[in-house]
Amino acid sequence: MTAASRSPRRALRILWRIQRMALLALLAHKARSAFVIAAVAMGVAALTVIVASVDGARRKALEIVDFFGPDAVMVLGGDIENRPVGQRIYTLTWADARAVARSLPGAYAVLPMRSIRQITLKYDNRNHESPVVVGATENYARAWNWPLAEGRDLSEEDVARGAKVALIGDEPARQLFGDASPLGRTIMVKNLPVQIVGRLAYRGLSGGGSDVTIDDRIIMPISTLTQRFNLDRKYFRGLRIKFHDPDLIDTHKDNLRALLRHLHHLGPTDNDDFTIISASEILKFLTAFTGGLVAFLGITAGVAIVVGGFVLANLMFLSVSERKAEIGLRKAVGASGAALTAQFLSEALYLTLAGSLAGVALGVALGESLSRLGLLQLRLSPKVFVLSLAAAVVIALVFGLRPARKAAAMDPIEALRGGDD
Amino acid sequence: MNAPADAPAAPAASRARETLIELADVTRTYVMADTPHTVLAGVTLDIAAGEFAAIMGPSGSGKSTLLHILGLLDRPTSGSYRLGGRDTGKLDDDALSRLRNQAIGFVFQSFYLVPYATALDNVLLPGLYSDTPGAALRRRGEALLAQVGLSAQAGHKPSQLSGGQQQRVALARALVNDPDLILADEPTGQLDSATSAEIMGLLATVNREAGKTVIVVTHDQATAAYARRQILVHDGRIAKS
Repeated sequence: MTAASRSPRRALRILWRIQRMALLALLAHKARSAFVIAAVAMGVAALTVIVASVDGARRKALEIVDFFGPDAVMVLGGDIENRPVGQRIYTLTWADARAVARSLPGAYAVLPMRSIRQITLKYDNRNHESPVVVGATENYARAWNWPLAEGRDLSEEDVARGAKVALIGDEPARQLFGDASPLGRTIMVKNLPVQIVGRLAYRGLSGGGSDVTIDDRIIMPISTLTQRFNLDRKYFRGLRIKFHDPDLIDTHKDNLRALLRHLHHLGPTDNDDFTIISASEILKFLTAFTGGLVAFLGITAGVAIVVGGFVLANLMFLSVSERKAEIGLRKAVGASGAALTAQFLSEALYLTLAGSLAGVALGVALGESLSRLGLLQLRLSPKVFVLSLAAAVVIALVFGLRPARKAAAMDPIEALRGGDD
Repeated sequence: MNAPADAPAAPAASRARETLIELADVTRTYVMADTPHTVLAGVTLDIAAGEFAAIMGPSGSGKSTLLHILGLLDRPTSGSYRLGGRDTGKLDDDALSRLRNQAIGFVFQSFYLVPYATALDNVLLPGLYSDTPGAALRRRGEALLAQVGLSAQAGHKPSQLSGGQQQRVALARALVNDPDLILADEPTGQLDSATSAEIMGLLATVNREAGKTVIVVTHDQATAAYARRQILVHDGRIAKS
C-alpha cells in the first residue's frame, strides 16, 4: 500500500499490466466463468425487467392522467367504493347536471354521459362486437383531450336534434373499414343506421391489465342514445366536469360533493349516492395495481442478484485455493497484496460486467415477451444500462473482495508448498 | 547476463569482495500445537557478491527455511539479515515485495509456471510488477528465452513443454528483472541427470558471465558440485561453510 500510495502512476501501470493475465485466467476456466456470468445475468435480467416495468407503469399512468385531464372530474351514480346493497346506481339526473352547470364555481363544462355495453356494429358484411357505445354531449373529443384523426367532433346541433351520427374509435374503424376512411359511411349500431362523422386518433391505452382497449368504442349524441335505445330519460350514468384551474381541483371536488348532497337531499349521516373521480384517484388505483407486481419483481431481482453474488464469491474462493501456487509465485516475484487484490477483483469485474450485458439482453427479451402477453408495459431507457452496470460493479466489489483479500493475504511459503508435493 | 564474458578481472574481483548477504545469529522458531520448534538456531553467514554457493543438508535440517529467509519470504525470529547492506528487518511487507521483485530471482523445484500463460508471458511475469517499460520488458524476455534456447517455444503453454524446458523458462523468468541474487530451491529435483546438468550449466553461466550471486539449496551431491562453495546445514546450524 505504501508503495502504491507513494506512486499512483506505478500502481496504475501495474493495474493495467495485470489485466491481460486476468482475462487469460478467465479464459482458462471457461465453464466456471460461464457459470458466474449466467448467475449474474439472471439477477440483472430481473433488474432490467423491473426497471423497465416501473418506467412503463409510470408512463402509462401519466398518459392516463393526461387523457383524463388534470383539470377534470368524473361523477358516477352510486357509491363505487362502499357499494351498499340495493343502492341504485342511476342517481344523477338532468336536473343535477343543469344545477351543477349553473351554480358550481370554477366549472366551465358539464358533460353528461351514458353508455350501453356489448353492441354489434355492422358494415357491409363485416361485424364487430363493440364493448361500449358512449352517449355524450357536444365536443366529446375536445372534452377528453382526444384528437380526431379525421372528420369533425359532435356538435351542439347533433345533440339537440338527436342526430344519427357517431365518432368511431380506432379499433372498430380498423375492423370494419380496414385502411379505408370511414368518414360519411353509414354503419348499423344494433338496428340503427348511423353515419360516421369523425374518427378518433389511436390512443393505445388498455384498462388495468385487461385486453379491452380504450380505442374500441363508438360515441353518439347522448340524446340519440337515450331515444333510440329506450334508456331512462330522467337519469344518466356519468357526468364529466371540467374546471378552469387544475390546482384547485380538491376544492372543486369538495364544492361539487356538497352541492350534489344538497341536490339529493342527503342528511349528515347518509352516505354519498355518487362517486367523484379525479386523475389522482385513477393514479392511486393504478399504483396499487402495478405495485404488487413491482414489489414481487423487486424482491425477485434482489434475491437473484444476491444469489449471483454468492455464486461469484464461492467460485472465486475455489479459484483462489486452486491457484495457490500461482498466488505464491506472484508474491515471491514481487506482487504486493494490493496487486493481487486488484487482479482477483479485476477478474470478478470482468465476469460481472459480462453477466450484466448478458442480463440486459435477457431482460429485454423477457420484457418483450411479457409486454406481448399484455402482463406489463415496459419502457427501456439508458437508465437500465447504467443501473445494470452499477449492479455489476457492486456485485464484483461486495462479493469479490473477500476472496481477493484471501488471495492477497496468503503466505507465499504456504501457498507454494500447497501447490505441490 | 549483460556483462561481457571477458569482463576485466579487477571490477569482478572487487565485486567479489563486496558482501551481498550478511546473516548475524539468525534464529527461526515455529510454534506448533503450543510447542516451539526451533528450525534455525543461530545462523551467522556471509556470502559475497558473485559467489556460487550450495546450501546442503538432510531434510529437516533447516536449509529450506534458510532459503526462505534469504529470499525475504520469511522473517527471522531473532538476529539480523542485511541484503546489499540494507537491514531487511526494518522493511514493511510492500518494501519487501519490491526488494524481492528487484533484487532476487527464484527458481523452484516444481517450476511454478502459470499454466494458462505462454512461456514468454511466464518469463515476463516479474517484470509486470517492476518499473521496466512494456516494450523494453518484452525485448528482454525474448532475449532471455533465446539465451535458454527456447525462442521457438515462446508461444507454448507450460503443458506443451518438457520438464527441462519448463525449468529453463523459470530460469529466464528469474533473470527478467536483472536481480543480483538467484535463489534456486532443489532446481534439479524433478529432472533426470542429463537435464539437471543442462540447468546447472545454465546457472553456472549466469554466475560466471553475468556475475550474479547464485545460491542453490540441494541435497544432491552432483548438483552441489557445480557450486564453488558448499555450506552444510545441520540441526539448524551451519556445520561447515
